[in-house]
Amino acid sequence: MGLGINYETNSADFLPIIKYDARAGRLSRVDRVNGESIATDVTKTFRAVFDLENLETGWIDFESGAPQYVLTILGSGPKPEQPGETYREGVRCIVKLGKDIGGDVREISSTAKAFLRGFDKLHDDYKAGAAENPGKLPVVELSDTAPHTTGEGARKSTNYVPVFRIVSWVSRPADLVYKARSSSAKSAEAKLPPSTGSTKVSAPSGSEELGW
Amino acid sequence: MKNPFEIHNIQHLSPSTCNTFIGSPATFVMEKILKMRGRVGCAAFRGTATEAGVVHGLLTEASDDECIKVANEEFYKLSALSQDPSKAKEQASVPDMVRVALAELRGYGRPTSTQGKIEYRFDGLLVPFIGYYDVAWENHKIIVDLKTTHAIPSKIKTNHARQVALYTAAKGKDYDPRIAYVSAKRSAVYRLEDVDQHVAVLGKIGLAIQKFISMSDDPLELASFVVPDVDSFYFNDPLTRQAAFEIWGV
Repeated sequence: MGLGINYETNSADFLPIIKYDARAGRLSRVDRVNGESIATDVTKTFRAVFDLENLETGWIDFESGAPQYVLTILGSGPKPEQPGETYREGVRCIVKLGKDIGGDVREISSTAKAFLRGFDKLHDDYKAGAAENPGKLPVVELSDTAPHTTGEGARKSTNYVPVFRIVSWVSRPADLVYKARSSSAKSAEAKLPPSTGSTKVSAPSGSEELGW
Repeated sequence: MKNPFEIHNIQHLSPSTCNTFIGSPATFVMEKILKMRGRVGCAAFRGTATEAGVVHGLLTEASDDECIKVANEEFYKLSALSQDPSKAKEQASVPDMVRVALAELRGYGRPTSTQGKIEYRFDGLLVPFIGYYDVAWENHKIIVDLKTTHAIPSKIKTNHARQVALYTAAKGKDYDPRIAYVSAKRSAVYRLEDVDQHVAVLGKIGLAIQKFISMSDDPLELASFVVPDVDSFYFNDPLTRQAAFEIWGV
């Protein structure tokens, strides 16, 4: 530290992820190996402690390159305003995986409606059981995935709703520590330079009222 | 704390000053610290003259020909003594630019204000920003800044974005800020985006200027911190080029 340089990075901002593919109903852990993302299917063996005490909800942009998050901890204040058209309602939660599938702390986030349906049910179950398990967090398994079909004809599509089940309650693991990450509107915006504008506009309607 | 702006006799900042500070710190030193005003080229006169003709037309419903006459007179007044080699080219483009701009903007109706002065203060910055927007339609909450050019850009230029963002911040966030680019052949009006971020950047630039001029009370010492790029257009004018040589020896 002779140069006074801080070599530490804020690792909380770069948690590895668990990914749920709602179209296939599959859950994977994703690891970066030699610069590549390698997905390992953990659908059948998934078990993790969910930090639902610090569940973040709000808006997520998965469309514009690196994900952008504008989230707040559920119950900590009003819902943030939608920052832009590419942002969709979503959730983010940190989890500690079971030993059989790595045992490390990761995050899971999604804006898929099928995922959110299943996650909403899990959260309901958590709230129902939290009073009887003060200070504890749920151990969750993925017991099944349920097909959910929307639309008709050419627009018909089937997605799979995860069926999460709380199998037990445990004290918070020592390494499952919530830290605020890139979740405010300000920090999300600051990652990109401002755009200037290329949308062509014309004269306002009704301008004749102002004229001669 | 000493106010470095007072020491260097700078009463306010403007988006234009910020652009100069970014584009050519040496020019900033020449103009704002050493008080040696560079001569403006005829491209700038073209813009001022076109605006005069267009504003005349919007305010009075004058014919295009009358507006062109106003613009030509303004150009002559500004450039009468100019030796800028581009003078004839710029003068020739003014009439068509006036026509194109009027075709684009007459549809907005009569402006409710033109050349409106705005003032905006940033926390920690010891002088205000002052600027003048071109045209506003308060009833429609629209501000338009007119930019003449020989090539219409595909999007708003960053320097222009900051300038109009400042006007918007001063007038009110409910305003629809627009920039009208006008060439002799066509026009494009773009809506400005990310106003807050552009305003914030302008504040940062203002603070950078404040820090820079705080480094010394001596104008020549400040000049010694920078070196001009004499190939840049800032030094096209022979007298400005000569002044740079005399100050920096380059």
